[in-house]
Amino acid sequence: MNGRERILTALEVREPDRVPLYIHGINEESIIGIGKRVTDGLPDPKQFYDMTEPERLKLVDALFLIHEEFGVDGMTSFEINQLRDLDATHAEDDWHVVYERSPHGLPVVCGHPIEDAAALDLYTAPEPRREHLLLLDLARERFQGEKALFWLMRGAFVLSWRLAGMSNLMIQMHEDPGFVHRIAEMTTVFNLKMLELLAEAGLDVLVIEDDIADTKTTLISPRHFCEFVNPYNRRLVDRAHELGLKVVRHSDGNLWKLMDTLLDSGYDGLNPLEPQAGMTMERVKAYCGDRLCLLGNIDCAELLPNGTPEQVDAAVRRAITDGGQGGGLIICSSNSLHPGVDPDNCIAMFHATRKYGAYEKN
Amino acid sequence: MARIEELYEAVLTGDKSTAEEVTRHAIGTSVDPQALIDQSMIPAMDEVGRRFEEEEYFVPELLLSARAMKAALKIVNPLLSESGGKHKGCIVLGTVKGDLHDIGKNLVSSMLEGAGFRVVDLGTDVSPEQFVAAVEENDANLIGISALLTATMPSMKSTIEALEAAGIRNRVKVMVGGAPLSTDYAKEINADAYADNANAAVRTAQDLTGA
Repeated sequence: MNGRERILTALEVREPDRVPLYIHGINEESIIGIGKRVTDGLPDPKQFYDMTEPERLKLVDALFLIHEEFGVDGMTSFEINQLRDLDATHAEDDWHVVYERSPHGLPVVCGHPIEDAAALDLYTAPEPRREHLLLLDLARERFQGEKALFWLMRGAFVLSWRLAGMSNLMIQMHEDPGFVHRIAEMTTVFNLKMLELLAEAGLDVLVIEDDIADTKTTLISPRHFCEFVNPYNRRLVDRAHELGLKVVRHSDGNLWKLMDTLLDSGYDGLNPLEPQAGMTMERVKAYCGDRLCLLGNIDCAELLPNGTPEQVDAAVRRAITDGGQGGGLIICSSNSLHPGVDPDNCIAMFHATRKYGAYEKN
Repeated sequence: MARIEELYEAVLTGDKSTAEEVTRHAIGTSVDPQALIDQSMIPAMDEVGRRFEEEEYFVPELLLSARAMKAALKIVNPLLSESGGKHKGCIVLGTVKGDLHDIGKNLVSSMLEGAGFRVVDLGTDVSPEQFVAAVEENDANLIGISALLTATMPSMKSTIEALEAAGIRNRVKVMVGGAPLSTDYAKEINADAYADNANAAVRTAQDLTGA
């Protein structure tokens, strides 16, 4: 099997030849830290927007090399170059959401264009832009069907709060539900159009990235989730399936209160299964491992930053023991490979997946 | 008595306009403003906290109740000042140097204000020196430091060291919060407490200040 076949088989909750490996997200510093083990000429750690064009190309090449050298079976793409600079530290996207550049990772949202229904009346949503799929195009050309192509698409909740502000959106769920629905509808129409472009570009797996929980419980009530979030994301699931894609649901945090709703929504996979949030592999596998594929669970909060390669090896072995039976398991970290992770530990995770992941032939 | 019960209900259900209306009316009929706080608002927010812990309430409901409480306090506070009343305490809040994340910190700020604390919110990317200066300027008895990134967590330790260097560590309590943190990390950096959510932050602040 090649990586693509391995991933797609796991997402059908069947056994591939071995447990696949996947990187959900990875920052520049981690690409450079791991990439230095497989290539020369990488720049010192800095943000993508601070890099020269040759440095950017080198970074993307290093990302691809990491996938090739360490047998990562799926490659995640997302929008790049979609922000316009406003000043030295601020930028905005096509939605006019404003971000502040951070030296430590992704830019942080700091300005919201739609405060209320009156502002929404005057607002015009952007159209998806084909050129924002550049990373997906590069990955498709590089891997030529050898690896599964994933795309991170932000879902209704995250896009809505970026537009309206988190606290404001939450208050409007009580005070002006129609406003919240209108924003969710607008973001979903955008996402459905983007989905058509992605399918045409050769995507295999859509990841609906819509963080909705902290380590204790959900941010909003299950009732609000079922009213304002899930029906919109479910339309993406349905359309993606019509287009022949697999769909993975990503949310940080403790999702137990929403688990049955998510299971009924048709997702093929669930990510990232944070162990600190009660999403232990053993428990999730027992609850729903025969219904959807589990992606994640290797702790990136404590283990990958501060553990040892031996401890990472043991954690991967345990995850495969707990979650691998019958297929439906893809190993990856419990969130992104952020700037705090130790490159040696990431490499230990890659190696251990190969070491322990083989399925016995029936 | 009826007004006190109405205010309790308005805060509990996050009904801001009713909370304001009831508070104004109560004050107009010479109800003791301190009694409004002690018998309506604080018990209501205690119940909000209980419901949050029991997962009957979620973040939106916390926000609504905190907003209603703040609106009522805004009416009551000038009268308390006239009569010699005072806040539970002053809390300096901020996200550490190099870290721009503020959603959790803002929620904590709202909840602390709703619980009757005076909050000096320094925003994000706050240096140790800024924390120290704000504590001194406001005679704060507690600071709350937030970080979302493992890369910026060390700045929490730097902030506590700056408080020590300024000779004010012994008169200000320090609580920390943020996704990558833990009780162990709080102990390691010599913080007084770790709070893992906004409601816990209020309880922790009350415990640390004796409020």
